[in-house]
Amino acid sequence: MERSFKKEVAQLRLGEGEIFSGEGILAVTKALLQSGVSYIGGYQGAPVSHLLDVMVDSSELLDELGVHLETPTNEAAAAAMLAASINYPMRGAVTWKSVVGTNVASDALSNLSSAGVIGGAMIVIGEDYGEGASIIQERSHAFAMKSSMCLLDPRPNLTSIVDTVEKGFELSEASNMPVMLQLRIRACHISGRFAARDNRPPLISRNQLLSEPDFNIDRFCLPPSTYLQEKHKIEYRLPAAERFVTENKLNEVFDGDLSDIGIITLGGLYNGVVRALERVGLSDIYGASRVPIYVMNVAYPVVPKELEEFCLGKKSVLVVEEGYPDYIEQAVHVALRKADVQTRVLGKQVLPKVGEYTADVVLGGVEKFLELEASGNLTASLPSSAITHSNALKARAAELLGTPIPPRPPSFCTGCPERPVFSAMKIVEKELGPTHIAADVGCHTFSALPPFNLGNTMVGYGLGLASSAGVGPNFGKRVISIMGDGGFWHNGISSGVASANFNKHDSILVIMKNGYSSATGWQFLPSSKGNRFGGETGMSIENALKGLGIKWVRTVRTYNVSKMAKTLRQAVTETKKGLKVIIADGECQLARQRRLRPLLKKRLDSGRRVIRTRFGIDDDLCTGDHSCIRMSGCPSLTIKPNPDPLRTDPVAHVNNECVGCGLCGEVAHAAALCPSFYRAEIVQNPNIWDRLLDSWRQALIGALQGLVRA
Amino acid sequence: MSEPLVRPITVLIAAMGGEGGGVLTDWVVKAAEHAGLLVQSTSIPGVAQRTGATTYYVEIFPIPISELDGREPVFALYPSAGDVDLMIASELLEAGRAIQNGYVSPDRTVLIASTHRVYTIGERSDMADGRLDEGPVRRAAQELSRRALLSDFKRAADKAGSVMNAVLLGALAATSVLPMVKQDSFVAAIRAGGKAIASNLTGFEAGFQLAMSAKGQEVPTQSLVRPKVSSRVERLINEVKDDPVPVREIIEHGVRRLESYQDLSYARLYLTRVSRVRAVDTTHDKSLTQEAARQLALRMAYEDVVRVAQLKTARERMDRVRAEIKAVPGEPVRVTEFLKPGIEEICSLLPGAIARPLLRWAENRNLTEKLHIGLALKTSSVTGFLAMWLLARLRPIRRLGYRFREEQLMIDAWLHQVCVGAQRAPELAREIISCARLIKGYGETHRRGYKNYERIQETLIAPALDGDMPFGDAADAIEKAVAAALDNPDGSALGDVLLGTADASKPAVAHAAE
Repeated sequence: MERSFKKEVAQLRLGEGEIFSGEGILAVTKALLQSGVSYIGGYQGAPVSHLLDVMVDSSELLDELGVHLETPTNEAAAAAMLAASINYPMRGAVTWKSVVGTNVASDALSNLSSAGVIGGAMIVIGEDYGEGASIIQERSHAFAMKSSMCLLDPRPNLTSIVDTVEKGFELSEASNMPVMLQLRIRACHISGRFAARDNRPPLISRNQLLSEPDFNIDRFCLPPSTYLQEKHKIEYRLPAAERFVTENKLNEVFDGDLSDIGIITLGGLYNGVVRALERVGLSDIYGASRVPIYVMNVAYPVVPKELEEFCLGKKSVLVVEEGYPDYIEQAVHVALRKADVQTRVLGKQVLPKVGEYTADVVLGGVEKFLELEASGNLTASLPSSAITHSNALKARAAELLGTPIPPRPPSFCTGCPERPVFSAMKIVEKELGPTHIAADVGCHTFSALPPFNLGNTMVGYGLGLASSAGVGPNFGKRVISIMGDGGFWHNGISSGVASANFNKHDSILVIMKNGYSSATGWQFLPSSKGNRFGGETGMSIENALKGLGIKWVRTVRTYNVSKMAKTLRQAVTETKKGLKVIIADGECQLARQRRLRPLLKKRLDSGRRVIRTRFGIDDDLCTGDHSCIRMSGCPSLTIKPNPDPLRTDPVAHVNNECVGCGLCGEVAHAAALCPSFYRAEIVQNPNIWDRLLDSWRQALIGALQGLVRA
Repeated sequence: MSEPLVRPITVLIAAMGGEGGGVLTDWVVKAAEHAGLLVQSTSIPGVAQRTGATTYYVEIFPIPISELDGREPVFALYPSAGDVDLMIASELLEAGRAIQNGYVSPDRTVLIASTHRVYTIGERSDMADGRLDEGPVRRAAQELSRRALLSDFKRAADKAGSVMNAVLLGALAATSVLPMVKQDSFVAAIRAGGKAIASNLTGFEAGFQLAMSAKGQEVPTQSLVRPKVSSRVERLINEVKDDPVPVREIIEHGVRRLESYQDLSYARLYLTRVSRVRAVDTTHDKSLTQEAARQLALRMAYEDVVRVAQLKTARERMDRVRAEIKAVPGEPVRVTEFLKPGIEEICSLLPGAIARPLLRWAENRNLTEKLHIGLALKTSSVTGFLAMWLLARLRPIRRLGYRFREEQLMIDAWLHQVCVGAQRAPELAREIISCARLIKGYGETHRRGYKNYERIQETLIAPALDGDMPFGDAADAIEKAVAAALDNPDGSALGDVLLGTADASKPAVAHAAE
């Protein structure tokens, strides 16, 4: 890890009554320590990476408390950690990005929840749904239902979130169920404050060791225990959970005078509902709503009795839940039907079935609900429709703008070591024709976007190579798979490489070795140069491949496009069959810059010689075709108005963010593009020799230039 | 709910990943906290942190915590269309996106936007000019905002030696949309950040002043310095003094360009060629002549190794490089050029009798694209510069070379078609002229462009001039074909368009034959 979270770490030490001020996900981190967890683990991924990052930097505090921190290589391993709470009364928490992480972890989660826990077990999931999400759009809700885990969805303010974490552990222990705490992207990143409580050193910990193993076949997932466990889940645990939820008022009712209607919302969507009501004049800014609201901070299990009580006497209610299927709406229907309560239930018929419930979406749904269900007197008294106003504004904007604003998709960073690999692929594709490319999860997935448009499928993390197993043998050319070093250690080493070799695949695998789990914030990997303990990992991709019996392995520095293209060509045309692995070696440029910049600054400030390298383009030689951009897409390789009065097309231009990675020159060379590129090395703090050499050169070159047309 | 309606003040910040939008948001949050106010920010960094477009949303409650008696407002996590008090956009297109999404409204929103452009990948990778028209965005910004502060904050930041988010914070502080947050709270927020405090404060001050004086005018891009030219060139230019000013300016540039490219007589040839078009140009403003003169100058100054060497060894060049890469006076700069001359480039300087068989041989063996010499030449060193300088001295023998003749033949053929077209219909001539846009660049780019040009010439221009196609249709078809040729590099779009027009024109042709 290259970043430091010193400030955040200090906040984790706050005691009773002190004010914590920071991000949502950090509040969860503090709440875990306040809950007395014995162990914490997880796999990095937005929006929950910070939880682990900060913990990694808090080793001193964790040592004091005796809390064990684990950074496993995937979510399945993280979930399996929770097994500690099956036998022993110790609390533990793990975290990952969901739904994908939950998918990976689901085997362990099923077994864990079958066995049940006696120590509180919490899974903090960052629900990566809606704008800003990087994954397939699904709800994690079903996992809680199918495995009988509790699903918490607190109101998005720090106090509610922290209280829910603490209560969540109690709920887990009261019901023997593992508990999932769901936080949406924006909730993970909200800033706010809450009054802290003291951290609780766990009763069982690295400082208070267990001495006796607990043997109990009832807690072991093997028939016949599994049948008993299933029965226990349904007959004991779920009712216990429901009881706890009601007794502790985990769900909240906000009463209002318009008692013939009501809104049932998940906790995470509560703020949006209140703002919508406020905009139509039915709530004040503090949440005093005239429409009664039932807030489900516990999304699963639902408590039928509470639903029944809330709906009794109401003509109709609106259910606000994001995504599909509409589990809550269905549950409300079932609960009311069984209790023979005749309240009308509206949900996805006035709100969209899919997509994020943004402010305007909720506002539109609430207005529609009121229009349909509220009494005529009420609707007449409401101010003019806010959603009509908002739509008119957007229509006017569209009219004025004429054409839609073009999208700005994410891309490889300036100087990214992965970009040259795709430049090389483009070059080889041009020569040898296109082939199927099985992409993987990581920054390299951006290859599927302009300007490269490379990648035919993407079915999951570390699964690039595995996903070529069906298409490869049925394709007329050798297919190419991509995998990052993150994906390799996550599962690709087994599901990809071992499996491909086991099945005698004849295909090409490109492993992007940038040294970190870069897309998630530069966490260390087994093949990173260092580890979080300040030492070396002692593992490498090359050794692993050797151990797996892969014969054809080439390591190529990514920036050497010609060599990369040559190696790819070799891999494509090689007559011998078998898996060919190219390790594309280049450190994540962001991490590299983060590491180098302070060092360079120090050197410069102390007057020592530093060579700054960057690229440039001669305007008068650039013809404005922009082939170079189509081969690279580097953010620092852009365009500018043509200074030539005879030309109109903009010229290519290298801006000052250039880090001099060298790709421009390589691409110009490898693709025989254009002579307008130059590399400039600026000698900062030059020594005497530099100065002498330079003035001598200047003099001679000046003389030559003077010879012509004086 | 009897007290006056107090609502949170809403601030939406649109930025691109890696631009420091998060830091700006933190400063706003810290400033509000410093002023004793409740505040909440949210963001969706996600994958957008890799240069994509993203937003940060802040709500600030204007009543100080001390007067709230423990009550807390329910902050929203999403901005609402028509419900944003302050919109900050770190770039013009992102301002446009915010406007499109309804986050700028005439009754509420103060818009602070930097007018500089960070081009999208679509705009950048266009084969000609794919830049978005800025006019509508600027007009919409003015019309749809309560007040718009549009200025090049990037330039202001560069000038202040600071970063843009600090300058934007200064502008924000000056707009008084957040009246309860005083300037010292913003300053305190920057100080609390603990990083690059001095330069951030300078940037803050620059932004504050910029917004206070609300000048925000943009400095026009620097005008070009006219190169010194010999009196003989002046005399040549004098010959066209009767043309309208815009035409004359283009021709003047053309004459200078070609004199330095080859020699005076080449410049004279240029004038002769221009006069052929002028003679048949019936437009009142001589716009055909103007456009033909522009394209002709570019075609005649085609790119070859000698041209590259000339420009790379030009006296002004090193100053331009130093300015571009921001080298401080006294810092030696080493420059490496990336050249990859191929068999085509070498042959272009050889006489046709040698060049033609050589090129044929290479093409038969599929070697045209393979026979390249990759050179990394240090033009800052004496030997490297000398090599380049000597190459530039080959200018006189360019005339003897194979390519020179080929180019002149092609130019004359094109010009002939332009002139014939002008006699038929000016709009047809205009489109024939514009086809010259396709022929540019080096190596593969040049080959591709030329091939596209030939396809259009054969399928559309020649039939049109032969009267096999109505002029208006032909002009439209050529325009479409040129756009298609510039649409994608593999030429498939052009193929589709040509196929379409060929089919469409068939009945017309048959009809004409009847």
